[in-house]
Amino acid sequence: MTPTVSASGLSLHFGRTRALDDVSLRLSPGVTGLLGPNGAGKTTLLRVLATAVPADRGAFTVLGHDPATSGGRQEVRRRLGYLPQTPGFHPDFSAFEFVDYVAILKELTDRTARHREVRRVLDEVGLGDVRGKRVKKLSGGMRQRVALAAALVGDPEFVVLDEPTVGLDPEQRMRFRELIARAGEGRTVLLSTHQTEDVAMLCHRVVVLADGAVRFDGTPAELTARAAGRVWSSAERDAGAKAGWRTGTGSFRNVGDPPAGADLLEPTLEDGYLLTLDGAGAEVTA
Amino acid sequence: MAQLLRPVARTLPWWTLAAGGGLGLLLAAAPRLTGDGASGGSVPTALRAAALAFALGAAFWLDDPARHTTAAVPARRALRHGLRLALLAPVAALWWTAALLLVPQPVRPPVAGITVEAATALALALTGAACAVHRGDGTRPGPAVAGFLLVTAVLSPLLCPEDWALFVAPGDERWPAAHDRWAVLLGVVLVAGAACLTEPLRRHRLRRLRSPSGT
Repeated sequence: MTPTVSASGLSLHFGRTRALDDVSLRLSPGVTGLLGPNGAGKTTLLRVLATAVPADRGAFTVLGHDPATSGGRQEVRRRLGYLPQTPGFHPDFSAFEFVDYVAILKELTDRTARHREVRRVLDEVGLGDVRGKRVKKLSGGMRQRVALAAALVGDPEFVVLDEPTVGLDPEQRMRFRELIARAGEGRTVLLSTHQTEDVAMLCHRVVVLADGAVRFDGTPAELTARAAGRVWSSAERDAGAKAGWRTGTGSFRNVGDPPAGADLLEPTLEDGYLLTLDGAGAEVTA
Repeated sequence: MAQLLRPVARTLPWWTLAAGGGLGLLLAAAPRLTGDGASGGSVPTALRAAALAFALGAAFWLDDPARHTTAAVPARRALRHGLRLALLAPVAALWWTAALLLVPQPVRPPVAGITVEAATALALALTGAACAVHRGDGTRPGPAVAGFLLVTAVLSPLLCPEDWALFVAPGDERWPAAHDRWAVLLGVVLVAGAACLTEPLRRHRLRRLRSPSGT
């Protein structure tokens, strides 16, 4: 199957800071999670793939089009939905007007069909009842959903979501997961997040980025398996653990290289992620 | 494009333009209000200050809080900015006409010359804003552009060499030569502005973007 996105050797520097370092990846339909610590280059990678910023080196195609050419970039953008990390709005617009504005920018020119599409995406994100309300009167979670509706309007084939669940309460996050899972049906969704639970629940594939480079690219099960036999329980903090914390039961959950005879525990995706970061030389905090 | 006109008009920072324009009209009327209209000695300075005030208001014209949300849409940046500028043009023309009419005709400086000066100030503000959007990542470059424009306006009369004087009085024999220079400056600024309306396909070597995480 032809991948939706095929990138090779993407590099980007900000002054002396290396934000992306020879990143190569291929994305196909379904939800792919992008994990990494702060400053790992997740947002930069997403912005490059969303054609919001050009890379210094390397090449990529989206749906067979090369964004390094003017015509190619237009074609990619016609089939792309992008939710940035900090979406901005025109606060005096209603939710409907704002998504309609984005729809016009996405070249949906037939007014009747466009309005139908805007109503559809607003219903899809659960804002059908408040579509006439001004954006500045909406809660943070609702604004985030307006931004998601703006990303999904026009039924794009490739959707880039940059930390869409940040700042949402647990109920809103659950609702967002539902929306993202639905968005991933038949589309290629690239989801950047700090939430390993989001990845475990939503993604068929996960990419771990650290210091601008890909440290892991595989399934969530494969990332979890990296921690097999490397998570254990102990009564006291284990000095040899890469990370360890007291759990609700009072015992310590340790991740790293266990001592002989340790009481091994079932690993989680987060354990695999922490060990992957540790192997990449990133700071492990727990 | 016609469908974009109304929403784009609603996204524009009209209040900064109204503030700059209002202050500009007050400054243009100042010689008449202070009784200096008869001699006309302060009229060119008042009109220049008025043009600067309007340009400062226009420096915010390309501010766009939704810039990141609409960063990856197929409608080209040149089209979107072009629409904004097209909406500004008639307002600027009307405003400048009003500013000139506030000055009594006998003491009004040569209209063509002073208009080139005003147009250059406005073009500098808009080109500054376009360059800030072209090279940077901010959603509101207006304050920085306005600050730059203000500093430039204050320093340029002081730092401009005598042979290259730009701010000369209407009766001065250097008036025609100075306005040839203004015209050249306007042309250069407009070309730079037009170049900045496009969206880069490749990164500039000297690009000073900051990474999203601030590094």
